[in-house]
Amino acid sequence: MSKESRLRASVNQKLTEMGERERLKELLRAKLTECGWKDQMKANCKAVIKEKGLEHVTVEDLVVDITPKGRALVPDSVKKELLHRIRAFLAQHAT
Amino acid sequence: MKMEDMPLSGPDNTRLEALVHDIYSELVEDACLGLCFEVHRAVKQGYFFLDETDQESMKEFEIVDQPGVDIFGQVYNQWKNKECECPNCKRLIAASRFAPHLEKCLGMGRNSSRIANRRLASNNNMSKSESDQEDNDDLNDNDWSYGAEKKAAKKRKSDKNQNSPRRSKSLKHKNGELGSSVSSEPYKFNYNTGISYETLGPDEVRSLLTTQCGVISEHTKKMCTRSQRCPQHTDEQRRAVRVFLLGPSAPALPDADAVVESDSFDIPDGQTLMSRLQWEDSPDISPTDSASSKASTNHSDSRRPKKKKRPSLGLNSGGGGGGGGGSGGLAGGSSSSSSSQSNINLSTKKKRPKLSAPSISSIYDDLN
Repeated sequence: MSKESRLRASVNQKLTEMGERERLKELLRAKLTECGWKDQMKANCKAVIKEKGLEHVTVEDLVVDITPKGRALVPDSVKKELLHRIRAFLAQHAT
Repeated sequence: MKMEDMPLSGPDNTRLEALVHDIYSELVEDACLGLCFEVHRAVKQGYFFLDETDQESMKEFEIVDQPGVDIFGQVYNQWKNKECECPNCKRLIAASRFAPHLEKCLGMGRNSSRIANRRLASNNNMSKSESDQEDNDDLNDNDWSYGAEKKAAKKRKSDKNQNSPRRSKSLKHKNGELGSSVSSEPYKFNYNTGISYETLGPDEVRSLLTTQCGVISEHTKKMCTRSQRCPQHTDEQRRAVRVFLLGPSAPALPDADAVVESDSFDIPDGQTLMSRLQWEDSPDISPTDSASSKASTNHSDSRRPKKKKRPSLGLNSGGGGGGGGGSGGLAGGSSSSSSSQSNINLSTKKKRPKLSAPSISSIYDDLN
């Protein structure tokens, strides 16, 4: 299984080295903003803030609330496209 | 470090897929974290809630998301099918055509007055063609537009000048000339648009006339704004306009030969001139005179109605020289022909060059 971990490590390394990781990050951010996911999440944040109080809200509060919701609310189209791109990258550079 | 081969067999495939999904999850979590940091910073810095106001305003200006309506709640083609009743003519007009219709219906606005003027002019032509028989023969020879202009001119003049003696001959003038009545009273035309001399003061008119052609067009009643040499109008017309607008002491056109004043002789109408000159003719003119010299001397005489200093002298000398009589006549003719020459030259300076040319040449012919 270290083989796998070695595999993973190398893939990640390649992703970063070639700048693909950054590109994918930017692409995801743009797509999420475009489809309204970001505004939705911001509304959730507002709710959290109002609950916890403006002065005492911490990053942890927000993270704990937003991350599971965010993961679930990503539109399918965005998810599909990203998966496709990652697979393509792996196919191209992992052999 | 070289990557190991990735065989696409079953378990490896799933491993690959798992890897892909892992990478994907990492990216999504990264995005979420980024958002959280952003929001947290905004909250702590105090600019998170800046885009909010009181609840009431928020509800009022909420984004509308209904079909057929934009985000402000306005309907796009609300007035497309609506019809409005015109208060003037009581007709139902489509909404998008309402404003132009009103403009024409009420007779206000730039275009409507232009159209009305044009329609008026053409209507006058239509009506006049039936009623006026006298000029029909003359006008039949010309093409339609020319006739239209003259008829329109006649209609206007007849409308506005009932007192002055109407002359049918005046209509034979080209477009732009103002009429040949002997009286020099200015016609009170109502030129309402364009460069209307009516609205200009005398100084403005003078300055305008020194730079522009200025001939007043009959059917638009505007002064021609082209240069002094514009081919549409003759110098005669320009001179006539200046006389008309500025009176007898009108300054000469810039292309004239240094003539400060111009006599108040009227628009040269060949026939009236000839009729006036019949009785002015000296009986000394011999019948053997050539027609041209006679005509030229007649012209030269007519051009000096006020300068009666040496009218008969010039005429006699011209006649005498032309006759070529006895030696006495010749001697007298030669001496006086020079004076007559000077006379003629003096007069020609006042006239336009085209009239002076024939007289000068005829004098030299006589000498020969």
